[in-house]
Amino acid sequence: MKKTHVALFLLLAALCSLPLFLPRFYTYIAAIVLLTALLATSLNLAIGYGGIYQFHHAVFYGIGAYGTALMLTRTPMPAALGLLVGPLVSALLSLVMGVICIRLSKLYFGMLQISLGSLVWATVYRWYSFTGGDDGIHGIPLPDRIATPDGAYYYTLAVTALCFFAMHRIVGSPFGKTLQGIRDNPVRSSAIGVHVKAHQLVALVIAGLFGGVAGSLFVVVNNSVFPDMMFWTFSLEVLIMCLLGGMYTFFGPLAGASILVLLRVFVSVYTQYWSLLLGAILTLVIIFLPDGVLGYAVRRFRPGEGRRA
Amino acid sequence: MKTTGAFLAGVVMVFCMAASGVAGDTIKVGLVDTYTGPATTFTNDVLDGFKLAVEKINAKGGVLGRKIEYVTRDDKFKPDIGLTMAKELILKENVDILMGTINSATALAVSDLCKKEKIPFLVTFSKSDKITGEKGHRYVFSMNENTEMVGRATATVLARKPYVKYWIAGDDYEYGHAIANGVFEHLKSMNPKVQLLGQSWWKVGETDFTPYITQILAAKPDFVIVATGGAGMVNFQKAAQSTGFHKRVPFYQHTAIELSTLMPQGPNAPEGVYGTANYLFYYPDTKENKAFADEFRKAYNRYPKSGALYGYLAAEFIAKSFEKAGKIDREKFIDAMEGMTLDSPVGKLEMRACDHQVLLPVFFGVTKKSPQYEFLVAGDIVSVPAKEYMPSCEEIVKARAR
Amino acid sequence: MGWLANLVSTGTLSQVLVGLSRTTILFIVSSGLTLILGVLRIPNVAHGSLYMLGAFSAYTVISLLGGGLSGFLAALVIAPMIVAAFGFVLERGFFSYLYDREHLMLLLLTFSFALIIGDLVKIVWGSEYRSVTVPEFFQGSAEIFGLPIPYYNLFLLLIGPFIAVFLWLVINRTKMGKIARAAAVDAEMVSAVGINVGWVFAFTFVLGCFLAGLGGALIAPMVNISLGMDHSLIMEAFLIVIMGGLGNIWGALLGSLIFGLTQSLGILIWPQFGIVFPYLAVVVVLFFRPKGLLSSTW
Repeated sequence: MKKTHVALFLLLAALCSLPLFLPRFYTYIAAIVLLTALLATSLNLAIGYGGIYQFHHAVFYGIGAYGTALMLTRTPMPAALGLLVGPLVSALLSLVMGVICIRLSKLYFGMLQISLGSLVWATVYRWYSFTGGDDGIHGIPLPDRIATPDGAYYYTLAVTALCFFAMHRIVGSPFGKTLQGIRDNPVRSSAIGVHVKAHQLVALVIAGLFGGVAGSLFVVVNNSVFPDMMFWTFSLEVLIMCLLGGMYTFFGPLAGASILVLLRVFVSVYTQYWSLLLGAILTLVIIFLPDGVLGYAVRRFRPGEGRRA
Repeated sequence: MKTTGAFLAGVVMVFCMAASGVAGDTIKVGLVDTYTGPATTFTNDVLDGFKLAVEKINAKGGVLGRKIEYVTRDDKFKPDIGLTMAKELILKENVDILMGTINSATALAVSDLCKKEKIPFLVTFSKSDKITGEKGHRYVFSMNENTEMVGRATATVLARKPYVKYWIAGDDYEYGHAIANGVFEHLKSMNPKVQLLGQSWWKVGETDFTPYITQILAAKPDFVIVATGGAGMVNFQKAAQSTGFHKRVPFYQHTAIELSTLMPQGPNAPEGVYGTANYLFYYPDTKENKAFADEFRKAYNRYPKSGALYGYLAAEFIAKSFEKAGKIDREKFIDAMEGMTLDSPVGKLEMRACDHQVLLPVFFGVTKKSPQYEFLVAGDIVSVPAKEYMPSCEEIVKARAR
Repeated sequence: MGWLANLVSTGTLSQVLVGLSRTTILFIVSSGLTLILGVLRIPNVAHGSLYMLGAFSAYTVISLLGGGLSGFLAALVIAPMIVAAFGFVLERGFFSYLYDREHLMLLLLTFSFALIIGDLVKIVWGSEYRSVTVPEFFQGSAEIFGLPIPYYNLFLLLIGPFIAVFLWLVINRTKMGKIARAAAVDAEMVSAVGINVGWVFAFTFVLGCFLAGLGGALIAPMVNISLGMDHSLIMEAFLIVIMGGLGNIWGALLGSLIFGLTQSLGILIWPQFGIVFPYLAVVVVLFFRPKGLLSSTW
């Protein structure tokens, strides 16, 4: 365990020092990678650890972002409150949607979530006077300290690190272990007295909360929000990040998110057939690396660790 | 865990080593636009019009002794990617000027970014009136028309017509509502007799308009304002052709008379549809327009559409503004461009100083068959010059103060 | 109560007819989807891309053979076959090795294919809009209750039931169809009885792809054929399949009817928000019958 702690500390130190020697653009990209990794990991709480078919996670990301954006642009409330309210709203939405969908399982759950999520998207998209409609909201004011590119980066790093720490604890807690037990065998869990639906609902709310936090970070880094953030195709992309990196490891989604964001930013400069490339890579990963890149790496270099469950 | 750390460190290092663009002895222009999907039918014209002008400028020695070079980035019609690409162009490629994009949400976000980075941004297709209106600022310029301009220009023509009972229909997104409201609100202020019977809105990308058409016909309006965008233009005209909608009630669409709408339909497009456009390669039939259209056709094997004009204007304004400024300085560039007039295929055009909007003429016409071409063209063209319809500088200042 | 008056007018009957004609294409595409979902247990996100491929293929066939009635009818046969052949390659080359994987993986695999097919279409046909004209035989419209219904819509309205009956015959009266139905319920058992389940799956997948391609070919004369067509239909198709019951062809028909009719009648009631009605219908149906209206094979 101690070795892991040292490794983590070194990683954190490296991340803290990035702005000192990287040009501004890379600092910006690093911030995007961090918040996307947070989003993917929050999804993984539901899908990797909970086995719940969370097909429209982007809704919570988008609502977190819009909640924050609206608080910052339309109310005189202090920014700190705005940044807090966004994720809370998405957690609430997650609860409401969860209660409606939880009666169903697997594919049906996923499809109903997509339907409800699409209704949310359509409302945001059409409610021009309140949400800016498909134009989005821009020029969102932030407190000076986090408005600068470096400030935004450090804020993102701090929040992301805290959230990762929190999620890691949750996953390792008795609640987390029960959740994984439910994922692997819901019937048996129920038989030994575990309230399956309640556990899943709590998992959904937590996933929604952290997804919303990722959304509020987007506001800090980009000063804009767009309804595209909660469109179903983006939800599938986040799902792909989890798959690519490995759904059954904690840092898998982080790896997947990093790969996807970096590839998109740097490779799409060279080719317009980015979708073809992404599709091909995914196909190869699904066929040959079913546990994702990180899952494969773990199995290869650390056999015996990180099995499913 | 350690594998994660090693992995991430490796990834970070690899991308750190990517070379960044070094500003040299050229003027570097960055174009961020949508080069994937259906929007490319418009954006390719912007790029090609730009390229045509730049090649000519460079052949004559460039600007202040430097050649214009350009780089493009694809935003895939997604605003977050557009924003990232814009940042890449500004921070990594170190472009002098930024141009783009067809997506209004992206344009507004990039405009905000350019305000912070103090780099000029030339908008080349987005039609949101907020760009040079309420969200306008010193660093953003627009080469194309916006929904407010189209609304006012169209209203001046429709106000003189005898129609009273109007119906509004269109694509259910910001652009659709902006065009429809723009036209009708101004129409009503010019001709208080007009009434709005009702409205129909369908999802963007709707393919079957028949139920909407039958419902509109049942309501019996005198005239219909159809606010479709992009692909919806052709889809709606096809539906009109099948149902004979245009023969039962006259209707109007912005860009109904444009090549992008009429060419894909060949000889089967509906006749008698009212529309507006800002560029027609065959009108006005002046030496300048013919020369431009012929050059474009020779270089790219197709007729130029409105995007070509916008791309061409961008190149010309960039070149002439730097020349007038005398040096490669962004602030002097902006000062030089304000109020500048130059010659274009559609005549002399001015870049209005108070809002950084090019004052384009709007052509209002009716689709009709042509003996010369395989596709329909615009007939009965009424040219509405900018001074007849543009919002005044006072109105712009008031909008921005809000 | 203007909306009530609207609803009971002659406009209603025209809207019903129009709604029924929309049902045809929705049904053709979603029946293919539900077959693949029911028998192979694959949520085929690439179904929309196959539909788009069908539309573009129809465009090419018509460009080569001329736009008359014969060219169009030929396109209705050839374009779906092209898509079916493509599907055959996908199934034999990829899916057949991965049936033991989780549904989620298969879903994401089909999403990868959707990405690839989308760009392949761009490579082959370019990014400009394409257009196919309605063949002269179908041009114009009929006056029904004083309002125009295009002949092409009537054509769709008429062939819908034919296709439904044809599908029913294939599924219930042919040997392959019956085996496919059995495999949908219990593939292991079918295999244990000595039947090569692999070919059953291939057959079903190819049939599903054929239907997607047919849907695309049929809609080609009505729309702008463009990249992005794949996204617009896939959500509606999935919702219809879920509404009707996974793997249930009649469910797909019922779902398509509900979807098509609620939309065209909704426009009469509330023209500004007509688009909301089909989605409301989905939420209502799923609330009362979470597994879909008719029985599903899962």
